[in-house]
Amino acid sequence: MERHFIGLSILMFFLSTLPGYAGAPLDTVQTNVNKVLDVARDPKLKGESAKRIKKEKLEAIYEQMFDGVELSMRTLGKNWIKINPAQQQEFIQLYRQILEKAYIDKILSYTNEKIVFSKENMLSNNQAEIQTNVITSSKEIPIFYKVILKDGIWKVYDVVVENVSLVQNYRSQFNSILAKNTPDQLLEILRKKVKGQ
Amino acid sequence: MTSGNESADRKENPGNGEEGEEEEIATITDPLESFNRAMFRFNDKLYFWVLKPVAQGYKKVVPEAPRVGVKNFFSNLKFPIRFVSCLLQADFSGAATEFGRFAVNTIWGVGGLSDPASSKQLNIPKNEADLGQTLGVYGLGQGFYIVWPILGPYSARDSIGIAGDYYLYPVSYITPWYDRLAVSAYEGVNDTSLRIGDYEFIKEAAIDPYVALRDAYSQYRQKKVEERRGQPVPPKPGGVR
Repeated sequence: MERHFIGLSILMFFLSTLPGYAGAPLDTVQTNVNKVLDVARDPKLKGESAKRIKKEKLEAIYEQMFDGVELSMRTLGKNWIKINPAQQQEFIQLYRQILEKAYIDKILSYTNEKIVFSKENMLSNNQAEIQTNVITSSKEIPIFYKVILKDGIWKVYDVVVENVSLVQNYRSQFNSILAKNTPDQLLEILRKKVKGQ
Repeated sequence: MTSGNESADRKENPGNGEEGEEEEIATITDPLESFNRAMFRFNDKLYFWVLKPVAQGYKKVVPEAPRVGVKNFFSNLKFPIRFVSCLLQADFSGAATEFGRFAVNTIWGVGGLSDPASSKQLNIPKNEADLGQTLGVYGLGQGFYIVWPILGPYSARDSIGIAGDYYLYPVSYITPWYDRLAVSAYEGVNDTSLRIGDYEFIKEAAIDPYVALRDAYSQYRQKKVEERRGQPVPPKPGGVR
């Protein structure tokens, strides 16, 4: 009996280190998107007075859902290693706020539409692509999430809306800015953007 | 510290690396940037000062269902573009589906106002094919980026494509010219009324809206070509193709 128990524990231990055990990537994304929609649709959080609470709740969900470091590295690409660690830290923070606003605005504009989680493609053993479709009365908008497994949690590192990757879209903007400006100037532009939003 | 480890990880992962490189290639060249930026500003003003207010007014008067109907009607009229493009891409099943869709939607869809072919029962999805994409499937690159006044962002390749599409679109044969212009303008207003907010979103989220739009256009068209290269397009699950 005891033997069985030990065997089982060992089995459990190995299972827990397998990526699949962390919860299927599709489920994770679906849960997070539903959380965002729940907050957005919550009648108690309507109106100006609840705006702050709503924003805080959305930020907390975003934090769980997205991988800020991975997003920043992928977005800056080759430029990531050219900036110093302090600049990297600030970039992660600023970029998080910009992306958070962009993503939440986009998904909130679809609150009354139906979102179908249609497919999960494993890209490698720790990366997956979740295909979703937003169905409106006039069209279907494909939104894909790319997720990576980090410390047992599937986290989003790119959102592809209608075939356009957000990470790549920002990368091309940052590249074009960095071609003419220093990293400090880029950070200044981002600070202004965050303040203005 | 973590950054070093992870970028090394990425290099080790060949699938990922390839994808990264591919994405770099999708960036379009822009030798006409100063002209394009001027045209971008012109189109931006045109949208906010003319097109958007008109579309908003129209949206207030006409409910969504008939507007979707009008959109379907014009989309059905674009059948020759999709049909010929499928043929030129040697996608005969695509061409046949398009022919079927045109027949079904024209007859049962009351001249194309509704889209019964896409309904759950029939499930014949539209083949979004055009001539610019066809040139891409043949292996022609996007070329440089150009922003046309009124028409908006295009690549050199797709500019050739739309010139060809124009001849395959029945609306282009309406005479006199001002009637043709009126029909096209109406189509533009109707389409805009169904996607007010899309452009605003791109602009709002962008650090440099001009570059954001240029990249979005380039990515979008690139994917359209890649999708068609892997012929034939897989049917939707449960499809009757």
